[in-house]
Amino acid sequence: MELFDAIYHRRSIRKYKPDPVDKATVEKILEAGRWAPSWANTQCSRFVVVRDPEVKTALAESLMKIKLPDRELENPAAKAFRTVPVVIVVAAKTGTAGAKPGGGFTTDKGDWFMHDTALATQNMVLAAHALGLGTVIIGAFDAKKAEAALNIPEDYRVVVMFPLGVPDQEGKAPPRKELSELVIRDKWD
Amino acid sequence: MDVFEAIKNRRSVRHYKPDPVDDDTVAKVLEAAHWAPSWGNTQSWRFIVVRDAAIRAQVADTLRLVRVDNEWVENAASKAIKQAPVLVVICAEKGRAGYAPDGAPVTDKGEYWYMFDIALAVENLTLAAYALGLGTVIIGGFDAVKAAQILEVPDDCRVVTLTPLGVPERQGQVSPRKKLAEVTYHDKYNK
Repeated sequence: MELFDAIYHRRSIRKYKPDPVDKATVEKILEAGRWAPSWANTQCSRFVVVRDPEVKTALAESLMKIKLPDRELENPAAKAFRTVPVVIVVAAKTGTAGAKPGGGFTTDKGDWFMHDTALATQNMVLAAHALGLGTVIIGAFDAKKAEAALNIPEDYRVVVMFPLGVPDQEGKAPPRKELSELVIRDKWD
Repeated sequence: MDVFEAIKNRRSVRHYKPDPVDDDTVAKVLEAAHWAPSWGNTQSWRFIVVRDAAIRAQVADTLRLVRVDNEWVENAASKAIKQAPVLVVICAEKGRAGYAPDGAPVTDKGEYWYMFDIALAVENLTLAAYALGLGTVIIGGFDAVKAAQILEVPDDCRVVTLTPLGVPERQGQVSPRKKLAEVTYHDKYNK
């Protein structure tokens, strides 16, 4: 698929078919993540490919509920986690991106793992779309619960997760601000 | 250009020709960035397109020096910012990504979701630039507070990353990657 088509037509998909996704396809997507750039090539991103239904369910249960004034609703992504054959978890080795060789961090942002895992995640969601698969990036979950379900070591953090499967809906493009609202020339004023 | 071709062959470019890059091309690159997904569709990214050579030079001077043979020298990326006709500065509006509508942070990552959302957009930006024959290099190692002063960025926004945008004088080298097996686990971390 042409790059700009992928960028413009990728949507966040929340309804999936249970159709299988084979290992070679998953690898193509992870391979796209692996080729993302990273702070001084530190490559802090790690990927957990979850197919085990029990682990998928545990991850679904870690998702935050949607709070309405009178009740709480399950996040639609939780159902997606149970439907799809694969959930990809993006984790990070902390203390590498943006770190100084002698300890501590280089910039006012501290650890750059949030940044570098997103570079990899964007490549993966574009690659999935190009292969006819849907994704939705989920950040609103109890990371401690997810980390426990996945046996993640202490110096690693779970950053996002996304279901990977055959879409059962046409995703909608949420409205975007006009580019002119976001672009400043030379200086802010 | 094919998506996978762009993903695999994009390189960080640190040497640029002074050739111009027109406004339409810059707009295409930023449009691609803007089509990235974001936390609750908050679209917290803001882009400063710097063409003014004096301002570019001032921002270039906020980059960290690098030590070569016991001597502190200018970072190759500083030179790149001065060479390329366009510098894109990517900022984030604070208090949006990762926050509930009532203003409380939602996760253990606190305010840091702006780093994540900005990078989703930046990845699109670098891929789009590459597909259009242009080079970029994502720069995070600079004094963001100084850069914000130079660019008169308001207090509710933070400067996150910079990239020159221009015609590569030479392609960047491939940074060796860990094998996929070294960064992939199945079902649980120890598998």
